[in-house]
Amino acid sequence: MVDAARQPLIEVKAYTEVEKVEGFVGNFKVTLREKAKYVRADRCNGCGACAKVCPIEVPNYFEMNLAPRKAAYIPMSQSVPLIYNIDMDACIHCYKCVEACGPLEAIDFSMQDKIVEEEIGAIVVATGFSHFDPTPMEEYGYNRYPNVITAMEMERLNNSAGPTAGSLIRPSDGKKPQKLAFINCVGSRDKRFVESCSNFCCMYSIKNAVLVKQMYPNIDVTIYYMDIRTPSKGYEEFYNRARAMGIHFIQGRPAMITEDSETHNLFIHTEDIALGKVVEHEYDMVMLNQAAVPQPDQNHMSSVLNVAQSPGGWFMEYHPKLRPMDSPTDGIFFAGACQGPKDIPASVAQGSAAAARASRVLHSKTWQIEPTIANVWPDRCVSAQGRACGICERSCPYGAIDYTQGKAAEVITAKCHGCGACVAECPHDAITQLHYTDAQILSQIRTLLADKPEKKILALRCHWCSYGGADLAGTSHFEYTSNERGIKVMCSARMDADFIYEAYRLGAGAVLYSGCHQQDCHYITGQVIGAKRAKRLETIFERMNMTPGRFRVEWISAAEGDKYARVLNEMQATLDAMPEADLLAEIERLRPEMAKRLSRLPNIPGVQRALDHTQVVVNTILSREGAQ
Amino acid sequence: MFKSGLADEVRALPGGENLEMCYSCGTCTSKCMIQQKLEPEYNPRRLLRMVMMEMREESFSNPTTWLCSSCDLCYPACPQQIHISGVITAVKKIAVQNGQKTPLHTAVVDQQTCVACGLCAEVCPYEAITIETRKLPYRGSIPVAVVDPGLCMACGMCGAACRSNSISIPADYSDENVVESIWKWLNPEGAL
Repeated sequence: MVDAARQPLIEVKAYTEVEKVEGFVGNFKVTLREKAKYVRADRCNGCGACAKVCPIEVPNYFEMNLAPRKAAYIPMSQSVPLIYNIDMDACIHCYKCVEACGPLEAIDFSMQDKIVEEEIGAIVVATGFSHFDPTPMEEYGYNRYPNVITAMEMERLNNSAGPTAGSLIRPSDGKKPQKLAFINCVGSRDKRFVESCSNFCCMYSIKNAVLVKQMYPNIDVTIYYMDIRTPSKGYEEFYNRARAMGIHFIQGRPAMITEDSETHNLFIHTEDIALGKVVEHEYDMVMLNQAAVPQPDQNHMSSVLNVAQSPGGWFMEYHPKLRPMDSPTDGIFFAGACQGPKDIPASVAQGSAAAARASRVLHSKTWQIEPTIANVWPDRCVSAQGRACGICERSCPYGAIDYTQGKAAEVITAKCHGCGACVAECPHDAITQLHYTDAQILSQIRTLLADKPEKKILALRCHWCSYGGADLAGTSHFEYTSNERGIKVMCSARMDADFIYEAYRLGAGAVLYSGCHQQDCHYITGQVIGAKRAKRLETIFERMNMTPGRFRVEWISAAEGDKYARVLNEMQATLDAMPEADLLAEIERLRPEMAKRLSRLPNIPGVQRALDHTQVVVNTILSREGAQ
Repeated sequence: MFKSGLADEVRALPGGENLEMCYSCGTCTSKCMIQQKLEPEYNPRRLLRMVMMEMREESFSNPTTWLCSSCDLCYPACPQQIHISGVITAVKKIAVQNGQKTPLHTAVVDQQTCVACGLCAEVCPYEAITIETRKLPYRGSIPVAVVDPGLCMACGMCGAACRSNSISIPADYSDENVVESIWKWLNPEGAL
């Protein structure tokens, strides 16, 4: 930190909050609130005279509230920059600090929060994580039994700069403990609290145990675990070292801790899985290794930065394997545990990667984006004619559409990722997506359904998931119906209702509407928009009395090749179960209904011309031998 | 895909759905009162494992299958939210369907005196009693209480509630024996 602060090209803005982020990659406009420290940064030399005279003491958050701090304080002894701060919530305005500061005149009670706007090229988010509070887990008695402490409290007790100057003592009587227990997975891997594994706690508890054992070899240390997870380089060796040192490992999740009310000793009840027996051991002190959870204001930051959150509440990366440090918004990067619990080596690696990614932005004159961006035809946009609409703006997962009534909607090209949600949602067909234009997709549909359409199953697949699923079904040699005809679009959000109407108008036997599972969507909320539309279509077709199963909506991930094959085989079975005459009669009955909904199609620029060309291909297919 | 075995049968019954989520942490066993006070060999974790491993005979004859009182102390503590007593009840049901005799002295109905008032069915905490029509000697087709031995835990609530003394737990805890032991307790010397 000191190095970073000394580097002339780095400006450290401590005690500052991000209020608003506008703009796009390379051109962010960030509003910052520089909070008033009531100490002038240009004058304070960090001598600490103010803290010495300050009569107010409040719990010290950094010491896990195990020690007090003054109202004039620095957050921790290694604070960078080393500038004192006055806690106005605690200050009683005795002005002793002003006196103590003397000729430096660094303390200024008239300071106020300052709002600053900065032009920023790229943003690296490294807000870290927080700890699960084990108080709601009544079985462990945290906050009820004085000698049950959390791992972070242990960390401070064991630290030579901590409140006890590094000597390990029991909170109840200040004596040195003789028998210590660590409990892993407190709150984590627990569906009642945090479902996921917190990644680093196994190593962390072993580290704490080893530290204690090194300092006091006579202390008896036990670790209670469900599974020990030491997958990285050198971790298993460290675990073996701990075992060789004589640290006990008991497999079993403690069900309950009870306390001797006089000695404040603790009894852990657990089943020793290796023995298959319920055991009860007595300890002087118990440490709970609590789960890692997102920061309490993670939701707020997520809306400020306009980046989505994964199901656990962590920030969502662009791609879990290939781009774990990129946010879905270009120019915003993640480093460390704000994206998901991770240990120090992983955080350092991700931090360096994020810095490299950010410098790529800073050193580029131009920025490459996906070629599949959306474009608005200003003359077709009804907003330009003064009508209120804004559907495209509401559907965009990236906030890339600039809509003001009276002006044609405009796509901010640098922000657009090319999901195509706005294109499919626009009721006036005023937006098109490069490389996935209506004309192109409608031409594909016509060609695929040229011959014997009633026998075909048209499958609309999204690029990232269901297309991958279909691919996997093929490479894994899963057998599925050869009557399937697939069309790829970028996202299920692009699957325009018109495509499905057109397929049925042409007489398609069945249509599959498939995409990612909601949590896997590569376009933040693209799948949600697609799913909503699919639901609407299902209702429409139900009202038309279409045979159930002829229109099917399925969310298939790239790993679910078997599901893709199964779904298509089921659809084929539905078609096979229907007498051909009935199917043809139903297609004929619904054809005018579909045509009615497609009357606008020829007016979309390029569509008529493309379809005229397609007709040549269709005629060629039909002139082949064996065609209808 | 897989041969349908005991685990599938258990999963198909209500309560058994989350069986395969168990990662053997042992919280249920160390929470269990029956394990602590009654039967040291009692181990729900091991029973769940046996069911997952398709150990049919062993799980049917295991004391854990028959002693669980469905107190549900383990359920709120389970980190995987498995309804353990639901799984055990499902195993019990399958065991009885497969001809396993319950080692418990389950409630017995005297069908000649039962009036099918339904009080026993109402108080039964295990929903083991139903009122069904049976053809009986001297009484004809008539509704009477019927006990499902796969669900009955021999708690005796039904016997206490019955107004016509038609249902009771046999052997050690029959009405006569209970009255006898109270009497003995009141008069240890047999003075009265």
